[in-house]
Amino acid sequence: MTHRACVVTALFGIFLGLTALDLLAAERQGAQTLPVLSPPMAAPDFVLTGEDGKRYRLSDYRGQVVVVNFWATWCPPCRYEMPAMERAHQKLKDEKIVLLAVNVGEDEESVFAFTGQYPVTFPLLLDRDGTVVKQYPVIGLPTTFVIDPHGNVTYRAVGGREWDDEALLNQLRQLLNRSAL
Amino acid sequence: MAVTILLIAAAVVSHGIDEEAKFPYWQIEDRGVSVRLVQRLPDQTRGYFQARGFSIGDADLIAQQCVFQTIFKNARSQITESGPIHYSLREWVVYTHGREQGLKTREDWRKEWKARKAPAAAQLAFEWSLLPTQQVYQPGDYNWGMSVFNLAPGSTFDLDVIWHQGDEKRVVRIRDIRCAPDERRDPEAQ
Repeated sequence: MTHRACVVTALFGIFLGLTALDLLAAERQGAQTLPVLSPPMAAPDFVLTGEDGKRYRLSDYRGQVVVVNFWATWCPPCRYEMPAMERAHQKLKDEKIVLLAVNVGEDEESVFAFTGQYPVTFPLLLDRDGTVVKQYPVIGLPTTFVIDPHGNVTYRAVGGREWDDEALLNQLRQLLNRSAL
Repeated sequence: MAVTILLIAAAVVSHGIDEEAKFPYWQIEDRGVSVRLVQRLPDQTRGYFQARGFSIGDADLIAQQCVFQTIFKNARSQITESGPIHYSLREWVVYTHGREQGLKTREDWRKEWKARKAPAAAQLAFEWSLLPTQQVYQPGDYNWGMSVFNLAPGSTFDLDVIWHQGDEKRVVRIRDIRCAPDERRDPEAQ
Protein backbone atom coordinates (compact mmCIF):
# COMPACT_ATOMS: atom_id res chain seq x y z
CA MET A 1 0.00 0.00 0.00
CA THR A 2 1.34 3.44 -0.89
CA HIS A 3 1.99 6.05 1.79
CA ARG A 4 -0.97 8.08 0.52
CA ALA A 5 -3.30 5.08 0.65
CA CYS A 6 -2.16 4.38 4.21
CA VAL A 7 -2.93 7.97 5.23
CA VAL A 8 -6.37 7.89 3.56
CA THR A 9 -7.16 4.55 5.23
CA ALA A 10 -6.04 5.87 8.63
CA LEU A 11 -8.12 9.06 8.25
CA PHE A 12 -11.15 7.03 7.21
CA GLY A 13 -10.67 4.82 10.26
CA ILE A 14 -10.47 7.87 12.54
CA PHE A 15 -13.62 9.29 10.88
CA LEU A 16 -15.50 6.03 11.46
CA GLY A 17 -14.29 5.88 15.06
CA LEU A 18 -15.35 9.46 15.81
CA THR A 19 -18.72 8.92 14.11
CA ALA A 20 -19.29 5.83 16.23
CA LEU A 21 -18.38 7.80 19.38
CA ASP A 22 -20.74 10.63 18.37
CA LEU A 23 -23.57 8.14 17.83
CA LEU A 24 -22.83 6.49 21.16
CA ALA A 25 -22.76 9.86 22.91
CA ALA A 26 -26.05 10.89 21.31
CA GLU A 27 -27.63 7.60 22.38
CA ARG A 28 -26.41 8.11 25.94
CA GLN A 29 -27.89 11.59 26.10
CA GLY A 30 -31.52 12.13 26.89
CA ALA A 31 -34.09 13.93 24.77
CA GLN A 32 -33.11 17.41 23.55
CA THR A 33 -35.12 19.46 26.01
CA LEU A 34 -34.55 22.73 27.84
CA PRO A 35 -36.67 22.56 31.01
CA VAL A 36 -37.93 25.72 32.67
CA LEU A 37 -36.29 26.44 36.02
CA SER A 38 -39.02 26.54 38.63
CA PRO A 39 -39.04 28.81 40.51
CA PRO A 40 -36.92 31.18 38.39
CA MET A 41 -34.10 33.02 40.14
CA ALA A 42 -31.90 36.06 39.63
CA ALA A 43 -28.57 34.83 38.27
CA PRO A 44 -25.85 35.26 40.91
CA ASP A 45 -23.21 37.54 39.42
CA PHE A 46 -19.62 36.38 39.23
CA VAL A 47 -16.21 37.45 38.00
CA LEU A 48 -13.92 34.67 36.84
CA THR A 49 -10.65 34.43 34.96
CA GLY A 50 -10.77 32.61 31.66
CA GLU A 51 -8.33 30.01 30.41
CA ASP A 52 -7.27 32.83 28.03
CA GLY A 53 -6.22 34.99 31.03
CA LYS A 54 -9.07 37.52 30.58
CA ARG A 55 -11.55 38.44 33.34
CA TYR A 56 -15.24 37.76 32.67
CA ARG A 57 -18.10 39.31 34.64
CA LEU A 58 -21.54 37.79 34.10
CA SER A 59 -23.41 41.10 34.51
CA ASP A 60 -21.41 42.59 31.61
CA TYR A 61 -23.61 40.45 29.35
CA ARG A 62 -26.88 42.06 30.50
CA GLY A 63 -29.11 42.58 27.43
CA GLN A 64 -28.01 39.26 25.93
CA VAL A 65 -29.03 35.67 26.49
CA VAL A 66 -26.22 33.88 28.35
CA VAL A 67 -25.80 30.12 28.41
CA VAL A 68 -23.70 29.21 31.46
CA ASN A 69 -22.40 25.65 31.41
CA PHE A 70 -20.76 24.10 34.50
CA TRP A 71 -18.39 21.30 33.50
CA ALA A 72 -15.13 19.43 34.18
CA THR A 73 -12.62 17.79 31.86
CA TRP A 74 -12.99 14.38 33.57
CA CYS A 75 -16.79 14.29 33.15
CA PRO A 76 -17.75 12.20 30.09
CA PRO A 77 -21.05 13.92 29.20
CA CYS A 78 -19.33 17.31 29.61
CA ARG A 79 -16.79 16.26 27.00
CA TYR A 80 -19.45 14.85 24.69
CA GLU A 81 -21.42 18.08 24.58
CA MET A 82 -18.46 20.42 23.97
CA PRO A 83 -18.35 19.99 20.16
CA ALA A 84 -22.12 20.65 19.99
CA MET A 85 -21.63 23.77 22.14
CA GLU A 86 -18.95 24.99 19.76
CA ARG A 87 -21.24 24.41 16.77
CA ALA A 88 -24.02 26.28 18.60
CA HIS A 89 -21.60 29.14 19.34
CA GLN A 90 -20.70 29.38 15.67
CA LYS A 91 -24.38 29.60 14.74
CA LEU A 92 -25.26 32.13 17.46
CA LYS A 93 -22.24 34.41 17.75
CA ASP A 94 -23.87 37.26 15.81
CA GLU A 95 -27.20 36.99 17.65
CA LYS A 96 -26.62 38.39 21.16
CA ILE A 97 -26.57 34.88 22.58
CA VAL A 98 -23.32 33.95 24.32
CA LEU A 99 -21.92 30.77 25.83
CA LEU A 100 -19.72 30.71 28.94
CA ALA A 101 -18.38 27.35 30.08
CA VAL A 102 -17.33 27.40 33.74
CA ASN A 103 -14.84 24.68 34.62
CA VAL A 104 -15.27 23.45 38.19
CA GLY A 105 -12.21 22.77 40.32
CA GLU A 106 -9.42 22.38 37.77
CA ASP A 107 -6.39 24.46 36.81
CA GLU A 108 -5.37 26.25 33.61
CA GLU A 109 -3.09 23.42 32.52
CA SER A 110 -5.86 20.80 32.66
CA VAL A 111 -8.25 23.03 30.72
CA PHE A 112 -5.57 24.02 28.22
CA ALA A 113 -4.74 20.35 27.61
CA PHE A 114 -8.45 19.64 27.15
CA THR A 115 -8.73 22.30 24.42
CA GLY A 116 -6.09 20.41 22.46
CA GLN A 117 -8.60 17.60 22.03
CA TYR A 118 -11.77 19.68 22.07
CA PRO A 119 -10.97 23.07 20.53
CA VAL A 120 -13.62 25.70 21.31
CA THR A 121 -13.76 29.44 20.63
CA PHE A 122 -16.17 30.50 23.39
CA PRO A 123 -14.79 31.49 26.82
CA LEU A 124 -13.73 28.74 29.24
CA LEU A 125 -13.79 30.20 32.76
CA LEU A 126 -12.04 28.78 35.81
CA ASP A 127 -13.93 28.29 39.07
CA ARG A 128 -10.91 26.79 40.80
CA ASP A 129 -12.32 26.48 44.31
CA GLY A 130 -15.95 25.87 43.33
CA THR A 131 -17.18 29.17 44.80
CA VAL A 132 -19.37 30.10 41.82
CA VAL A 133 -20.90 26.67 41.22
CA LYS A 134 -22.11 26.64 44.84
CA GLN A 135 -24.21 29.75 44.16
CA TYR A 136 -26.23 27.97 41.48
CA PRO A 137 -28.57 24.99 41.91
CA VAL A 138 -26.08 22.47 40.56
CA ILE A 139 -26.09 18.92 41.92
CA GLY A 140 -24.26 17.10 39.12
CA LEU A 141 -22.07 17.98 36.15
CA PRO A 142 -22.70 19.09 33.52
CA THR A 143 -25.51 21.48 34.39
CA THR A 144 -26.34 24.39 32.12
CA PHE A 145 -28.39 27.50 32.85
CA VAL A 146 -29.94 29.90 30.39
CA ILE A 147 -30.04 33.48 31.64
CA ASP A 148 -32.38 35.96 29.98
CA PRO A 149 -31.33 39.51 28.99
CA HIS A 150 -32.66 40.84 32.32
CA GLY A 151 -30.36 38.56 34.33
CA ASN A 152 -32.90 35.90 35.34
CA VAL A 153 -32.18 32.19 35.14
CA THR A 154 -35.01 30.77 33.06
CA TYR A 155 -33.95 27.30 31.96
CA ARG A 156 -31.81 24.55 33.44
CA ALA A 157 -30.51 21.45 31.66
CA VAL A 158 -29.13 18.67 33.87
CA GLY A 159 -26.78 16.49 31.81
CA GLY A 160 -25.46 17.19 28.32
CA ARG A 161 -27.41 18.29 25.30
CA GLU A 162 -26.91 18.56 21.57
CA TRP A 163 -26.71 22.32 21.82
CA ASP A 164 -26.78 22.92 18.07
CA ASP A 165 -30.16 21.19 17.81
CA GLU A 166 -32.40 23.69 16.00
CA ALA A 167 -35.23 23.32 18.51
CA LEU A 168 -32.87 24.29 21.35
CA LEU A 169 -31.40 27.17 19.38
CA ASN A 170 -34.89 28.46 18.60
CA GLN A 171 -35.78 28.32 22.29
CA LEU A 172 -32.79 30.59 22.99
CA ARG A 173 -33.74 32.94 20.15
CA GLN A 174 -37.33 33.13 21.38
CA LEU A 175 -36.09 34.07 24.85
CA LEU A 176 -34.05 36.90 23.31
CA ASN A 177 -36.97 38.10 21.19
CA ARG A 178 -39.47 37.92 24.07
CA SER A 179 -37.19 40.01 26.24
CA ALA A 180 -36.88 42.65 23.53
CA LEU A 181 -40.68 43.26 23.51
CA MET B 1 -52.83 13.92 53.17
CA ALA B 2 -50.48 12.80 50.41
CA VAL B 3 -50.79 9.17 49.37
CA THR B 4 -47.84 7.39 47.85
CA ILE B 5 -48.51 4.39 45.64
CA LEU B 6 -45.75 1.80 45.84
CA LEU B 7 -45.18 -0.03 42.60
CA ILE B 8 -42.86 -2.99 42.36
CA ALA B 9 -42.18 -2.25 38.76
CA ALA B 10 -42.19 -4.81 35.97
CA ALA B 11 -39.27 -3.10 34.33
CA VAL B 12 -36.92 -4.45 31.71
CA VAL B 13 -33.66 -5.40 33.42
CA SER B 14 -30.78 -6.25 31.15
CA HIS B 15 -27.15 -7.23 31.51
CA GLY B 16 -24.34 -7.09 28.98
CA ILE B 17 -21.07 -5.45 28.06
CA ASP B 18 -21.02 -1.67 27.87
CA GLU B 19 -20.06 -0.65 24.33
CA GLU B 20 -17.78 2.15 25.44
CA ALA B 21 -16.29 0.99 28.74
CA LYS B 22 -16.03 -2.66 27.57
CA PHE B 23 -17.07 -3.78 31.06
CA PRO B 24 -20.26 -5.48 32.28
CA TYR B 25 -23.34 -3.39 32.86
CA TRP B 26 -26.73 -3.93 34.50
CA GLN B 27 -29.59 -1.75 33.29
CA ILE B 28 -33.20 -0.91 34.08
CA GLU B 29 -35.60 0.58 31.57
CA ASP B 30 -39.02 1.49 32.80
CA ARG B 31 -41.44 3.96 31.23
CA GLY B 32 -38.84 6.43 30.04
CA VAL B 33 -36.51 6.01 33.00
CA SER B 34 -33.20 4.32 32.45
CA VAL B 35 -30.57 3.44 35.03
CA ARG B 36 -27.34 1.75 33.95
CA LEU B 37 -24.60 0.56 36.31
CA VAL B 38 -21.27 -0.09 34.60
CA GLN B 39 -18.53 -1.98 36.44
CA ARG B 40 -15.32 -0.07 37.15
CA LEU B 41 -12.06 -1.86 37.82
CA PRO B 42 -10.40 -0.95 41.13
CA ASP B 43 -7.27 -0.02 39.15
CA GLN B 44 -9.27 2.43 37.05
CA THR B 45 -10.66 4.03 40.18
CA ARG B 46 -7.26 4.19 41.85
CA GLY B 47 -5.72 5.88 38.80
CA TYR B 48 -8.63 8.26 38.39
CA PHE B 49 -8.52 9.53 41.96
CA GLN B 50 -4.74 9.69 42.18
CA ALA B 51 -4.90 11.95 39.12
CA ARG B 52 -7.40 14.15 40.99
CA GLY B 53 -4.94 14.70 43.88
CA PHE B 54 -5.68 11.88 46.33
CA SER B 55 -2.85 10.00 48.03
CA ILE B 56 -2.25 6.40 46.98
CA GLY B 57 -3.83 5.25 50.26
CA ASP B 58 -6.95 7.38 49.88
CA ALA B 59 -7.42 6.40 46.23
CA ASP B 60 -7.08 2.75 47.23
CA LEU B 61 -9.67 3.22 49.97
CA ILE B 62 -12.25 4.26 47.34
CA ALA B 63 -11.17 1.59 44.85
CA GLN B 64 -11.66 -1.19 47.42
CA GLN B 65 -15.35 -0.39 47.99
CA CYS B 66 -17.00 -1.55 44.75
CA VAL B 67 -17.47 1.42 42.44
CA PHE B 68 -19.82 1.54 39.45
CA GLN B 69 -20.28 4.23 36.85
CA THR B 70 -23.99 5.01 37.00
CA ILE B 71 -26.09 6.73 34.37
CA PHE B 72 -29.55 7.78 35.54
CA LYS B 73 -31.68 9.28 32.81
CA ASN B 74 -35.17 10.64 32.31
CA ALA B 75 -35.42 9.85 28.62
CA ARG B 76 -38.90 11.25 28.20
CA SER B 77 -39.12 14.11 25.76
CA GLN B 78 -42.18 15.80 27.25
CA ILE B 79 -43.40 16.84 30.66
CA THR B 80 -46.10 14.54 31.98
CA GLU B 81 -48.87 15.31 34.44
CA SER B 82 -47.08 13.45 37.18
CA GLY B 83 -44.11 15.82 36.94
CA PRO B 84 -40.39 15.22 37.20
CA ILE B 85 -38.63 12.10 38.43
CA HIS B 86 -36.72 12.26 41.67
CA TYR B 87 -34.62 9.81 43.66
CA SER B 88 -32.57 9.61 46.82
CA LEU B 89 -29.72 7.13 47.02
CA ARG B 90 -30.47 6.83 50.73
CA GLU B 91 -33.58 4.82 49.81
CA TRP B 92 -31.72 2.31 47.65
CA VAL B 93 -31.10 -1.06 49.29
CA VAL B 94 -28.14 -3.38 48.74
CA TYR B 95 -28.74 -7.08 49.58
CA THR B 96 -25.68 -9.18 50.12
CA HIS B 97 -25.13 -12.41 52.11
CA GLY B 98 -28.45 -12.01 53.94
CA ARG B 99 -27.69 -8.45 54.97
CA GLU B 100 -29.18 -5.16 53.86
CA GLN B 101 -27.15 -1.98 53.59
CA GLY B 102 -27.11 1.38 51.86
CA LEU B 103 -24.76 3.04 49.40
CA LYS B 104 -21.94 5.25 50.58
CA THR B 105 -22.93 8.78 49.60
CA ARG B 106 -21.13 12.09 49.13
CA GLU B 107 -22.12 13.09 52.65
CA ASP B 108 -20.72 9.88 54.16
CA TRP B 109 -17.42 10.43 52.35
CA ARG B 110 -17.22 14.11 53.29
CA LYS B 111 -16.78 13.16 56.95
CA GLU B 112 -14.17 10.58 56.03
CA TRP B 113 -12.12 12.99 53.89
CA LYS B 114 -12.21 15.59 56.62
CA ALA B 115 -10.83 13.08 59.10
CA ARG B 116 -8.17 11.91 56.64
CA LYS B 117 -7.25 15.52 55.70
CA ALA B 118 -7.61 14.92 51.96
CA PRO B 119 -6.62 17.95 49.81
CA ALA B 120 -9.48 20.39 49.14
CA ALA B 121 -9.15 20.16 45.34
CA ALA B 122 -9.30 16.35 45.51
CA GLN B 123 -12.40 16.48 47.72
CA LEU B 124 -14.08 18.85 45.26
CA ALA B 125 -13.36 16.53 42.32
CA PHE B 126 -14.55 13.55 44.37
CA GLU B 127 -17.88 15.15 45.22
CA TRP B 128 -18.63 16.04 41.63
CA SER B 129 -17.52 12.60 40.42
CA LEU B 130 -20.11 10.77 42.52
CA LEU B 131 -23.72 10.32 41.44
CA PRO B 132 -25.71 12.99 43.34
CA THR B 133 -27.26 11.68 46.55
CA GLN B 134 -30.58 13.19 45.53
CA GLN B 135 -31.63 14.56 42.18
CA VAL B 136 -34.67 15.74 40.24
CA TYR B 137 -34.87 15.02 36.53
CA GLN B 138 -37.07 16.88 34.10
CA PRO B 139 -37.56 15.24 30.69
CA GLY B 140 -34.21 14.94 28.93
CA ASP B 141 -32.18 15.36 32.13
CA TYR B 142 -29.59 12.84 33.24
CA ASN B 143 -26.41 12.39 35.26
CA TRP B 144 -23.37 10.21 35.05
CA GLY B 145 -21.60 9.57 38.31
CA MET B 146 -19.85 6.95 40.34
CA SER B 147 -21.80 5.04 42.95
CA VAL B 148 -20.01 3.32 45.81
CA PHE B 149 -21.52 0.15 47.28
CA ASN B 150 -19.21 -0.32 50.24
CA LEU B 151 -18.49 -3.97 49.33
CA ALA B 152 -15.27 -5.87 48.73
CA PRO B 153 -14.02 -6.30 45.13
CA GLY B 154 -15.58 -9.38 43.51
CA SER B 155 -18.70 -9.30 45.74
CA THR B 156 -22.13 -10.00 44.29
CA PHE B 157 -25.29 -8.27 45.42
CA ASP B 158 -28.91 -7.44 44.58
CA LEU B 159 -30.00 -3.84 44.45
CA ASP B 160 -33.36 -2.12 44.86
CA VAL B 161 -33.33 0.96 42.65
CA ILE B 162 -36.01 3.37 43.81
CA TRP B 163 -37.36 6.58 42.34
CA HIS B 164 -40.50 8.67 42.58
CA GLN B 165 -42.75 10.37 40.10
CA GLY B 166 -45.75 12.25 41.39
CA ASP B 167 -47.47 10.01 43.93
CA GLU B 168 -45.78 6.86 42.65
CA LYS B 169 -42.79 5.18 44.20
CA ARG B 170 -41.15 2.78 41.76
CA VAL B 171 -38.97 -0.06 43.00
CA VAL B 172 -36.97 -2.27 40.65
CA ARG B 173 -34.67 -5.01 41.89
CA ILE B 174 -31.55 -5.88 39.90
CA ARG B 175 -30.18 -9.28 40.82
CA ASP B 176 -26.66 -10.67 40.84
CA ILE B 177 -24.69 -7.51 40.22
CA ARG B 178 -20.99 -8.20 40.51
CA CYS B 179 -18.32 -5.82 41.72
CA ALA B 180 -15.16 -5.97 39.61
CA PRO B 181 -12.39 -8.06 41.17
CA ASP B 182 -9.17 -6.37 42.19
CA GLU B 183 -6.75 -8.03 39.81
CA ARG B 184 -3.76 -6.22 41.27
CA ARG B 185 -4.42 -7.74 44.68
CA ASP B 186 -5.84 -11.02 43.48
CA PRO B 187 -4.30 -11.92 40.11
CA GLU B 188 -6.09 -15.28 40.10
CA ALA B 189 -9.50 -13.61 40.15
CA GLN B 190 -11.10 -13.26 36.78
